[in-house]
Amino acid sequence: MKIFQILQPRAIIALSSAFAALLLTGCATQSVVTPNPQDPWESSNRSVYAFNDAVDRTLLKPVAEAYAFVTPQPVRSCINNIFLNLGEVWSFINSSIQGRHEDALNTMGRFLLNSTMGIGGCFDLASMNGAKRISNDFGVTLGVWGISSGPYMVLPILGGTTLRDGTGKIPDLYFNQYGYGQMVHNVDVRNSIYGFEIIERREALLDVTNMVDRTAPDPYSFIRDAYLKKREAQVRGTQGEAEKLPNYEDFEDVPADDKALGIAPKK
Amino acid sequence: MMKRFLSVKCLVVLFAACCSLASVQTLAQTKPDANAAANIFVQQVADQALHALKADTSVRAGDTVRVNQIVDELLLPYVDFEKTTRLSAGRYWKQATPEQQAALVKAFRATLGRTYSGALTRVDDATSMKTLAFRGEDDAKDVVVKSQVIQHSNTQPVQLDYRLEKTAQGWKIYDINVENVWLIENYRNQFAQQIGQNGIDGLIAALNQKNK
Repeated sequence: MKIFQILQPRAIIALSSAFAALLLTGCATQSVVTPNPQDPWESSNRSVYAFNDAVDRTLLKPVAEAYAFVTPQPVRSCINNIFLNLGEVWSFINSSIQGRHEDALNTMGRFLLNSTMGIGGCFDLASMNGAKRISNDFGVTLGVWGISSGPYMVLPILGGTTLRDGTGKIPDLYFNQYGYGQMVHNVDVRNSIYGFEIIERREALLDVTNMVDRTAPDPYSFIRDAYLKKREAQVRGTQGEAEKLPNYEDFEDVPADDKALGIAPKK
Repeated sequence: MMKRFLSVKCLVVLFAACCSLASVQTLAQTKPDANAAANIFVQQVADQALHALKADTSVRAGDTVRVNQIVDELLLPYVDFEKTTRLSAGRYWKQATPEQQAALVKAFRATLGRTYSGALTRVDDATSMKTLAFRGEDDAKDVVVKSQVIQHSNTQPVQLDYRLEKTAQGWKIYDINVENVWLIENYRNQFAQQIGQNGIDGLIAALNQKNK
């Protein structure tokens, strides 16, 4: 409970200022310039995104940066690997019920090797030996079972997801967080681990989010598009059909009339 | 006699050692061959840049300006930014005047340069990139080279793919894929968004604002 006690006053300030930001952005109705068929709720999504971003900037990110500052890289790698390793069991179950038995076997092999020789998952020996982590969850399972992703949505705090994957998060959280949490009987310790996990996960994303901040003209659509592509790839799977290369329309040599009408060049 | 023989032997060994060292040095510093096989070319580009970054003391001390310089000298010349920008702009490309096109390419080049620099500021001795065996036809003009990047020891390798085009000057990289997300594909909506809101000049301004 320690972490929460330290954070509480700041958390209240952050949340209230973030809510103010949410209200402000909500009032200034955001016009959607380029409607995306996968994102029909873009306007309200952008408001929640602004709220999440404010919470992140005032609360989560500074704490994660402080953690990165005081903890050496090898220790952070070790702790990150331990959390990822615990997640392998749920990945294994999902790969299994998707009928991806090869992935399931690989994941179980990774889990056994890293848990034992890798000392509780601290050392990712499996990756060092070329066995890539195949992360899997219930949203992907629903996708493999033929359920389409549905609209993109941004949930408060939890962030970007889709209707399908957001639904999948319920069993994900139940198994990974609640399930493991029940093994820790002391409530204070359990909550501290939960709090620590959030900070640790945020820290692992610092490089990525800093990159997006520095380079994306529109971080919202950058994150949305990347998320949707990544999920598509996960549903497609490692053994499935080969990924399709994007076929970009090249407007280098378009005749003037076509370009004025916005007609794509014929290949 | 014995002593003299030993010293000659020492000299020979020393000489051989010097030679091999020198050859290692030249090997690491040869310019990437844009007419070699695509995967070999990509590996050479990456090795050259990583070698320079790892050897540089100010980079290791966290000097981002120096990282930018090295990226600018050793990485960006192998990228076809005109094509990357043109494809990202999509149908808006032809609506831009030649001056706007040039300004957009310049702004996007700076943006992407910082993307690479940002990813490379934290190189350590364990940082490496290994291209995977090339799967494709030998005479293909548009190819994908897959690679795995290890940033620090004991971390997950990151999947990084390069898309290259064979030009008159040899291979040029024009798109990259990080963990199943293609760069151009991911910038197209953002470009359209900005152009739709504030026009092409607005997009150029937005990119340049980030570049400050």
